[in-house]
Amino acid sequence: MGQIAKIQAMLQNGEISCVELTKKYLKAIEEANGELNAYVTVTPDEALETAKKVDEKIARGEKLLPLEGVPMTLKDNISTNGIETTCCSKILEGYKPIYDAKVWEILKSQNAVLLGKTNMDEFAMGSSCENSCFGGATNPFNTDHVSGGSSGGVASAVSGDIAAFGLGSDTGGSIRQPASFCGIVGLKPTYGAVSRYGLVAYASSLDQIGPITKTVEDASLVFDSISLYDENDSTSVGKSETTFDKLDNDIKGMKIGIAREYLDGVRDDVKEAVLSAAEKYKEMGAEIVYFDLPALKFALPVYYILACAEASSNLGRYDGIRYGYKTTQSYEGTHDMICKTRSEGFGEEVKRRILLGTYVLSAGYYDAYYKKAQNLRGTIIKAFDDAFKNVDVILAPTVPMTAFKMGEAVSDPVETYLTDICTVPINIAGLPSVSVPCGFNSKGMPIGMQIIGDKFKESTILNVAYKYQQACPENFKDTKWGVKL
Amino acid sequence: MKYELVAGFETHIELGTDTKIFCSCSTEFGGEPNSHCCPVCIGLPGTLPKLNKKVVEYGIMAGLATNCEIANVSKMDRKNYCYPDLSKAYQISQLYAPLCNRGYVELSNGRKIRIHHIHIEEDAGKLIHNHGDTYVDYNRGGVPLIEIVSEPDIRSIDEAREYVEKLQQIMRYIGISDCRMQEGSMRCDVNISVRPQGSDKLGTRTEIKNMNSITFITKAMEYEFERQVDLIENGEKVVQETLRYDDATNTTSSMRSKEDAHDYRYFRDPDLVTIKVTDEEIEEIRAKLPELPYIKKQRYVDELGVPESDAGLLTKYRNISEYFDKAIDGLKKPKTVSNFIIGQIFRVLQTEEDKEAFDIKTTPQQLNQLCKLLEDGKIQNNLAKSTLDKMLETGKDCTEYISEEDMAGLDDSFVDELCKQAIEANPKAVQQYKEGKEKAIMACMGFVMKNSKGKANAQEVLEKIKSMIS
Amino acid sequence: MITREDVENIALLSKLFVPEDEMDNLTQSMQEIVSFADTINNADVEGVEFDNINNLSNALREDVVKPSMPKEEILKNAPEQAEDHFLVRKHS
Repeated sequence: MGQIAKIQAMLQNGEISCVELTKKYLKAIEEANGELNAYVTVTPDEALETAKKVDEKIARGEKLLPLEGVPMTLKDNISTNGIETTCCSKILEGYKPIYDAKVWEILKSQNAVLLGKTNMDEFAMGSSCENSCFGGATNPFNTDHVSGGSSGGVASAVSGDIAAFGLGSDTGGSIRQPASFCGIVGLKPTYGAVSRYGLVAYASSLDQIGPITKTVEDASLVFDSISLYDENDSTSVGKSETTFDKLDNDIKGMKIGIAREYLDGVRDDVKEAVLSAAEKYKEMGAEIVYFDLPALKFALPVYYILACAEASSNLGRYDGIRYGYKTTQSYEGTHDMICKTRSEGFGEEVKRRILLGTYVLSAGYYDAYYKKAQNLRGTIIKAFDDAFKNVDVILAPTVPMTAFKMGEAVSDPVETYLTDICTVPINIAGLPSVSVPCGFNSKGMPIGMQIIGDKFKESTILNVAYKYQQACPENFKDTKWGVKL
Repeated sequence: MKYELVAGFETHIELGTDTKIFCSCSTEFGGEPNSHCCPVCIGLPGTLPKLNKKVVEYGIMAGLATNCEIANVSKMDRKNYCYPDLSKAYQISQLYAPLCNRGYVELSNGRKIRIHHIHIEEDAGKLIHNHGDTYVDYNRGGVPLIEIVSEPDIRSIDEAREYVEKLQQIMRYIGISDCRMQEGSMRCDVNISVRPQGSDKLGTRTEIKNMNSITFITKAMEYEFERQVDLIENGEKVVQETLRYDDATNTTSSMRSKEDAHDYRYFRDPDLVTIKVTDEEIEEIRAKLPELPYIKKQRYVDELGVPESDAGLLTKYRNISEYFDKAIDGLKKPKTVSNFIIGQIFRVLQTEEDKEAFDIKTTPQQLNQLCKLLEDGKIQNNLAKSTLDKMLETGKDCTEYISEEDMAGLDDSFVDELCKQAIEANPKAVQQYKEGKEKAIMACMGFVMKNSKGKANAQEVLEKIKSMIS
Repeated sequence: MITREDVENIALLSKLFVPEDEMDNLTQSMQEIVSFADTINNADVEGVEFDNINNLSNALREDVVKPSMPKEEILKNAPEQAEDHFLVRKHS
């Protein structure tokens, strides 16, 4: 049973009150957060207030809504009215939104219990969570290791059981990669399936909010709740069907594709784990189909060009005038104030990406970089479209490696970007993909694989993921931290 | 050497929608600072734009009214520049695929000023500078604009003036903007170059930004034309740059400094999707457009026999021409109505604003009734005029002021008798008339009109007196 | 080849100051990233036009006014404000 179902059953049959449960989580946060550094803001008052409401509802004998009473967390780039939302950047220091992100509005209306906001790489730019102005969240399996990024805080909190589930955002792998590093489930929905309204933009055409959970059922339940058409988001579509009722569908005869390019350059332990999962699927009656996806080789540079271009524009607004940090140095005139504010407020990686983005859009370079990358994006989309004519889902590693040690994230930016090689093509093509744990390396660090589907086929990939979870429960492990239900 | 002016316009017009282009805040002018704002228009992190349908519709109307091709597919782009009045550090605009392309506006001299394209975009907020401090108000931020970009087809200051006035008139007519330059709802950037008369090469151009009065535009253009000619005559070069016009000193000066070196880095806005319009939808909008002023004017001249200058005055504002169209219903001589409007009604509507509003007490139906009586010969011109004056004061029907008796007309023998009396009473005038002084006869006329209390038909009286004398 | 001048120019456009002593390092690191980005120009495939992910069109809103937010809320997060305006002082 998933965390959410367990908690709701306990609440419904009076095993524990929602206030007690919330207090348990808050206490666990107090104990674990020093080492995990998952939370950057904890909201006990708001959490207990909601918990009380839930208890009253239970006392009145009312039925609980899908996520009602479940203690959870949001990545710090999801806007929460009156609660600090900093993207773990100095430049948003003290910023309290005056409106709610659509996803939070939905969860709030279901009385989900927000425990706090979680750590991330500054503006979601990074793969280790170490680009946070609060320092990185650590990996509950071994706190010498990174949690992954950029939604490292959510992954660390969920893996460390100091939140029953969380919402992250995924622009180039930021949900799936930390989920993989922390041995849990992360779903990046189809672009347009979940409203981006209120998600602080990194790269608008790639960003997507999704659940990070301990189990596939949990991811499915959360997705079914948050995937709605939103009139505030012009790119919103919503979902075509619910996923929870299809989790246990038979996968016999299903075609699972493996793109050969996806196994290139992947560490042996990771490759082995993914291939043995493929074997498992074969045993379940699925057909494994190997195929080529040559377009993948441009995915990484295309991603960095497009993401940085959009970021350079999205991050122009942080100027010290309307919200957030303003330089404390003396300045002379508006231009000087803005430059000082931005230079002090942004971290190195963010600045690097803004500069690259500005460069690829600037006069004389637009055609060679941005426009070319945009056309290659079309090429990659078409390649996936063609692939899905022959297969139902694609199986691939989530990350070519397991979680590295804190501080080991190489100083060479290009080398670091390579960790995203398996995840970014999915964002480029706007596809849904779920990362599920599929084993451990010799040091006990989790390995993840992703199941990629055609657009709006969340029900198919979650179905395939669920079947694996049923077959290999040993890969879904608890850590020593947090609340044990 | 003689020089020729070459100019093109970029005209920004604020659209009269109720809400902003990307959020549901009111566009109402004025209001306390930052009181017409929401998370979207102050660019809070995470907010997203949602395009106002009416902005697309108004943009298409502007395109159709200026003979543009309407794009079936158009897209929104981001124009990136960091300035405190721009809450997102980019303006959402259109560059790569604008809504309207390739149109023209025809001037009275028959020349067509080509329009390169028209695009939709958002306005910026307002900055107030006080002792070097900057105060920012985002009420205007996000108000929808169209930008009409002309080709460099303008060749004189007069053409420039006419072009701007014409755009203003057209946009007001189709009801998409009030185009009030003093309130900033219409602003022009002008690019200017000069070249020797007869040359077909374009000289180096300068751009004068953000002018909000026709007087400033013409003065600035005159100044800039002279300045460029002087430079060339002195063997110097015109530098391509952006200028600001200062009306106090009547000079232009450079706006550029290193810190606002611009490279707008336009790219498709990923937060907004494609705008698609079908030919059917375009035709529906076209069918709803009112008759455009220049077409209407020609019709008044050709079909209604209104003199060209009068037709110009009648079509200057939509309210006037609509009034006129109603008031002429069923009349044989529409010119009568036109004379009353221009001669008498305009006397009570002294300012341009009054004329534009055309808020008078007399309805077009009431004026029509009065004109019918005149046309049927039931009353005479003088009576009609004095009656209209009273009607305009009170808003009452003409029948309130004209009795049955007035309309009954005069007995022919009574008029004959009055004519005889007139000749007897004015022997001197009769003598002069006989000696060839045509005008002298007016004394007799006056006598008859006075004694008939203005009811006699002046033309008939004149004929009668003439025949009696000879 | 990305030059120091290029980096100075894009830093100015990005409204970022680069300290003199970091300039060489940054230029080199930018050069590496740009060379990496350059690999797309070796792509031997034909591009396919890209519009938007789900080929959506006409996400439009009716022109109906909704209440704006109280100006106090709008100004709440401003580092500095005066007389209902966001304020940027000339010096500090």
